[in-house]
Amino acid sequence: MLADNDKAPARKHLIVSAQYVGFDESIVLAVPKGRILKELRPLLDRVGLVPSAEFDDENSRDLRFATNLPGVEIIRVRSFDVPTFVAFGAAHLGVSGNDVLMEFDYPEVYSPLDLGIGRCRISVAEQVDFSKTDDPSRWSHVRVATKYPELTRKHFAARGVQAECIKLNGAMELAPSLGLCDRIVDLVSSGATLKANGLVEVEHIADITSRLIVNRTALKTRSEEISYWVEKFREACSAS
Amino acid sequence: MDSFLPELALLPAGLHDLLPPDAEREAALVEHAMGVFRAHGYDRVKPPLVEFEESLLSGVGKAWSLQTFRLLDPESQRMMGVRADMTLQVARLAVTRLLNAPRPLRLSYAGEVLRVGGAQLSPERQFRQIGCELIGSLDAAADAEIILLAATALTELGVRGLSIDLNLPTIVPAIFAAYGITGDDDRQLAAALAHRDTAIAGAAPDIGPLLLALLDVAGPADAAIEKLSRIDLPAKAESSRTRLIETVRLIRRAAPDLKLTIDPLERQGFEYQTGLSFTLFARGARRELGRGGRYRIGGERGTELRGEPAVGFSLFADAVLNAAPASAAPRRAYLPFGHPPESTRRLRTAGWITVAGLSPVDDPVAEAKRLGCPHILVVGSGEPTPVT
Repeated sequence: MLADNDKAPARKHLIVSAQYVGFDESIVLAVPKGRILKELRPLLDRVGLVPSAEFDDENSRDLRFATNLPGVEIIRVRSFDVPTFVAFGAAHLGVSGNDVLMEFDYPEVYSPLDLGIGRCRISVAEQVDFSKTDDPSRWSHVRVATKYPELTRKHFAARGVQAECIKLNGAMELAPSLGLCDRIVDLVSSGATLKANGLVEVEHIADITSRLIVNRTALKTRSEEISYWVEKFREACSAS
Repeated sequence: MDSFLPELALLPAGLHDLLPPDAEREAALVEHAMGVFRAHGYDRVKPPLVEFEESLLSGVGKAWSLQTFRLLDPESQRMMGVRADMTLQVARLAVTRLLNAPRPLRLSYAGEVLRVGGAQLSPERQFRQIGCELIGSLDAAADAEIILLAATALTELGVRGLSIDLNLPTIVPAIFAAYGITGDDDRQLAAALAHRDTAIAGAAPDIGPLLLALLDVAGPADAAIEKLSRIDLPAKAESSRTRLIETVRLIRRAAPDLKLTIDPLERQGFEYQTGLSFTLFARGARRELGRGGRYRIGGERGTELRGEPAVGFSLFADAVLNAAPASAAPRRAYLPFGHPPESTRRLRTAGWITVAGLSPVDDPVAEAKRLGCPHILVVGSGEPTPVT
């Protein structure tokens, strides 16, 4: 403890950024790493957006990329983070599956365009043997392993079932066979992964595609620019 | 002095301290805005922080029920609510104590509100709300006056890149009613529209093409009106469109350079609005600065319109504070120990902020800098000089 006449310690200033994202800033497009990016890449070409060479280099540590257009930047983030970057105005446009959009349900995120890529579905699955005797109409409480706890809870609540969600970040398919839970909620495309792990789909929750998303405030205050890009992507989609 | 005590510093979520210079800036900004309102004929009222729950949450107040903190009044043994929105209180005043005041009644207010939960972009649960209500007129001129007043106040506060989004929160319910959409379908479609999801909205049977056409309207006002005029709307939604077009015409005439956009499907934050509404944005500011619109005092949405017509807006002082430019650094002078206090009065009269030394110090210039004073009044001299 310091006495009155001791020298006061140098204070560290916590710099809290203002709720301000510049004035004449460029347009930032947030894209997800991984699976969807491969399908998105040709679409970017058709839109006429050419990212710098590092963008296609998987070993590059860059996260932020210039493009052939001076006013447009691309950031590459985890798919679950795209809506968050867009909701808070850190990115103005983004590409995100509606699985992630439903999970976060940000009121500040608009999804004006279905890009038609990243097609799959989100479903409830359980072990094949268990499904033979299980009657979904009798459920009152379920324990579910999932990457999507909010979406799962809402889905079950809507049909009067309380869902206890165990959040996992991967390898959901393992959970039922090891007794972690009876059911999982996960993305299914071909169903091969489920099958390989002795699981079967018992309930379809929603069809999933990737959407072009936009920040609400950006759409209202820079409507010409944002609409221009939405239109460009729309043309690129219908051309494919 | 004790070192920093983290356990004392932690505040409940959504509540925070405003420190210098922000506390001062906020107060100045609120008074500046209130001055603009006063100059436009709006008289200030000051309802209390807490009211009986049943009056606070009656009528349009019902929309705020889940956002209202309650306390039990040990005196009357009745439940009280802390206001979550001041519009409700001003509406109550208009139909109780000011029932016989001449119409149209123009009232303004400024005060703190408290909410159970903050919004995603603004976790603040307590903030200062400032606004105006114009009560007793159904004219489009009243809508235009309120929108222009909000714009004038924000512009005078130095907010740049102001952009006003005009909305018709009643159009979706009117269309759903016309197409017989209820229950689950209503909820799902409303959620899809809230996210402007063209994929889901467009796929809706029957109503799909109409929703797509309305989604496409959103954008700069002139083009939006043109698109909106071509859409075949159900009869119940027609009056909203006419009112919108008339109001835009009036605003354009008074403020041709004001940036206006239209998004007929916007419903966010319009808990009790019954007609033309609007949201105030500024380019670069992360969240909206305020919103407003038409409502009925004593009326409820969903039932037939009744009650006294009113239109108003409120601004969120914290959001405006972030969007307004920082004020110029004040003229602040350090007065080393030894100045007779009365001899420096003229400096304050001339607009200086004076900070008096309480004891002699070895290096007054260093002391001035330490206390954040860019100027110092050397003993014996008449005018403060800059410290270098």
